Amino acid sequence: MAFSGFAANRSLAAFQTHGGSVSLVSATSPQVRLPGTIFVSQGGAIYAISASGARRLPLPAGGDWIQPRVLPDGSLLVVRRFDEYSDLYRVSTAGKVLAQLSDNNQATSNKTLQLDHWILWPAIGPDGTSVYFATDAPKPAPSQSYEVDFSLWSAPLSGDMTIADQGVTGGTRWSVPDAYTGGDVEPVPLPDGNVLYSSYANTGKGTVVSVLGVQTGPHSTMVSLTTPAQNCGAPAVAAGGATVAMVCDHGQTADLEVATLSGTTLSVPRVLVANCLCNSPSWSPSGDNLLYMNASNPDGNFGLWYIANAGNAHPGAAKRVTDTSVDLDATSAAAWMAR
Amino acid sequence: MVIVAGFAVSILAGVVLYFLPAIQVALRDTGQANTSLGGDPQLRPVSASESLSSTSPFTLLLLGSDSDSKFKGDYLTQSMILTRVDPVTKHVTMLSIPRDLWVRLCNGRNGKIDQAFLHGGAQCAIQTVEHDLNVHIDYYAWIGLQGLVSVLNQVGGVNVIANNPVMDDYYPADLSGGNPFDYQRILVLPGAQHMDGTLALEYVRARHDDAYGDFARSQRQQQILIALRAKTKTLTLADIPSLASSLGSNFQTNMSIGQVSGLLPIAGSVPLASITQVVLLPPYTSTEVVSNQDALRPNWALIRSEVAKFFPAN
Repeated sequence: MAFSGFAANRSLAAFQTHGGSVSLVSATSPQVRLPGTIFVSQGGAIYAISASGARRLPLPAGGDWIQPRVLPDGSLLVVRRFDEYSDLYRVSTAGKVLAQLSDNNQATSNKTLQLDHWILWPAIGPDGTSVYFATDAPKPAPSQSYEVDFSLWSAPLSGDMTIADQGVTGGTRWSVPDAYTGGDVEPVPLPDGNVLYSSYANTGKGTVVSVLGVQTGPHSTMVSLTTPAQNCGAPAVAAGGATVAMVCDHGQTADLEVATLSGTTLSVPRVLVANCLCNSPSWSPSGDNLLYMNASNPDGNFGLWYIANAGNAHPGAAKRVTDTSVDLDATSAAAWMAR
Repeated sequence: MVIVAGFAVSILAGVVLYFLPAIQVALRDTGQANTSLGGDPQLRPVSASESLSSTSPFTLLLLGSDSDSKFKGDYLTQSMILTRVDPVTKHVTMLSIPRDLWVRLCNGRNGKIDQAFLHGGAQCAIQTVEHDLNVHIDYYAWIGLQGLVSVLNQVGGVNVIANNPVMDDYYPADLSGGNPFDYQRILVLPGAQHMDGTLALEYVRARHDDAYGDFARSQRQQQILIALRAKTKTLTLADIPSLASSLGSNFQTNMSIGQVSGLLPIAGSVPLASITQVVLLPPYTSTEVVSNQDALRPNWALIRSEVAKFFPAN
């Protein structure tokens, strides 16, 4: 069966445009040079951008490697997405697979594909020993229902977990999604033990919208931080847990916004970038500077952008990090390592 | 139960709206014959000199069908979008007509509106919509499933903000060359992203895990159409031959070269704020079982009132 995502159709040899390959390593001529190493996804491959240039991590072939996250020990958590399932891996920055943390592939010749599962948006817990993620479990048995929505779970990084239709063995369930909306995604575990995330909800008025919510524990009631009218998602929290970046969707365009989180209260947000095709914000290790994906025009490539001091009252101007001919996976947030 | 997945194809209509002039010029210039172009001679004949670059508003019925190997030329229309373009005010209105709308068909029988094209092609679809919605339709454009994917790929895909995770464990696997009745799992991640033809098709066609089913994907179809506007600014004559060949028999219209010659600049100049999107949610429709079929019962008084407002007679 042909892969269903756009990324698989692109060669993985180099950064590319929509139209074809270019022999370009963007970090050699960036508009802004950033310290440390930034990991991004393009065409199903993970690239590391640093002062010495950009390199592709030589991860095993097959599937798309997306959504990198930096672990405290300097390794990465990465999602490997196939046609009909995805798995979570721990890999070295040299591109060596260190561990496979889930196994959602039904290795049978006559499988029921509805028994497959997605695992996406991994996030490392505040103590560095657990991983939070979204998965389409539990869900009704095949042929019983069409429902398939994301729930939030956590599990120890060191232990085995098994994702099945009944749930995640070895994991802790955090949320119960609103049915037939896509569910709860993009968890961000906070230093105080709370979890911030995007929750998709049926308004009952013909639309599904996203609100940012926070839970103080597994199965606790979600406290909404934004309104359905704001339609905000893709939260990213700066080190310290107080500054939240998010993307608020207006249909054909979106706004990149920041606000201050205090417990279960979010301040009135400030718009950093208006009317953009922004997605997937992420913060620098220091918590001062913001990365995000954006296409500079409706038909343009998605590049990596940067705003210095994004949480301050007077943030820096938005600057493109990658060259305009580079086209990154906009649904995969960049991960920024200090060294 | 075999789930015949709906196919969003208004998109293609969007392609028509934006690219038809170039495509037809290419067909003329390359000498390629395509019997599906040139339209239905019984359908409101117009003179070759008539041009859409005139100042008169016009209506266009965009039709989309599953055209994979499950069907042998007998196509339902899984997508119907009635569009009105005002070249002067540069205002565009798009009304998605639900495929399950229970109506009086052109043959006098009652049935779902998606059967009109099956019974009598574009002419029946137009007559049915004109009669039931009390609206005049100037032109139509029809596109098949593979044509939509091909054209979107030819233009380099589109940038779209996916409103929510679009998931479907029962998505039809009818383009992969195997059993067209098989399923596949699909997932479109939320947020801004680039979509190629296949991903865009999944985005507008998936419906099973969706609180609003066909209504939601109608909204997504309109969203893709709007995103296609950006392509009008990058299209060049050099793109025409490949665009034309990618459509092949997956495209029909009654528009002539002269009639569409002004469409491209119009499409490129319509601002976002001047696009009105309409979907017939309750109370305009209500879900009922009619003749043992899940259908949408229209509230004609409400619907025709809205149609009269958004699609006034010239």
